[in-house]
Amino acid sequence: MTILIGIDVQPIDEVQDSIEKFGLRYVERLFTAQEVESCGGSSRIAAASLAGRFAAKEAVLKILDGGDVVPSWREIEVRRSTKGRPEIVLHGVAAEIAQRQGVEHLSVSLSHGGGIATAAVVAQINEQLIRANP
Amino acid sequence: MTDTDATIRGVLEALGRLPGTALRLKDHDDLYQNGLSSHASVNVMLGLEDAFDIEFPDSLLRRDTFQSVASIREALVSLGVTVDSQ
Repeated sequence: MTILIGIDVQPIDEVQDSIEKFGLRYVERLFTAQEVESCGGSSRIAAASLAGRFAAKEAVLKILDGGDVVPSWREIEVRRSTKGRPEIVLHGVAAEIAQRQGVEHLSVSLSHGGGIATAAVVAQINEQLIRANP
Repeated sequence: MTDTDATIRGVLEALGRLPGTALRLKDHDDLYQNGLSSHASVNVMLGLEDAFDIEFPDSLLRRDTFQSVASIREALVSLGVTVDSQ
């Protein structure tokens, strides 16, 4: 079993500024409807929560190695599990790259403070899955 | 500098959060090495959409699209923007 780690930070005020400048156009380009809903819905979007989710997406991108193929941000989704913990759900190209890389499980931790949102992602790589998906 | 290039640099100056001025960057200077973050590149993309009345498809939302002024200009041309001559 191999472990890969991705980490990223995102200033919250930059997300707030982008929401004020571009509104839903910005939000919908980066985040799924479920992510927006879990951050307070489109009418009262919490910049800190969205900044954490953006950091998580970037952290996942540091783990995924698709060569010239880069997933879109919406293909990497942060959800809340039934226990309230954040979890990563991959779609489309992101899911395909992860499968080729043998990613068996992704864990994510989010935090924010001092104006900065941060995310750390740990990927468990199963070499047997790589051999099964050459 | 063409009007198109001036508009690209103006958007970078306004939304790119670069530590230096975008106006002095050369065409092929690496914007990420000059301080462009992934998040700022999203704002640059939205600013370019407003400036040129276009929409970037997901297929162009890639790191290399916003690598340089030249690569941005190339993406704009692929979206039908007519680049004026000098």
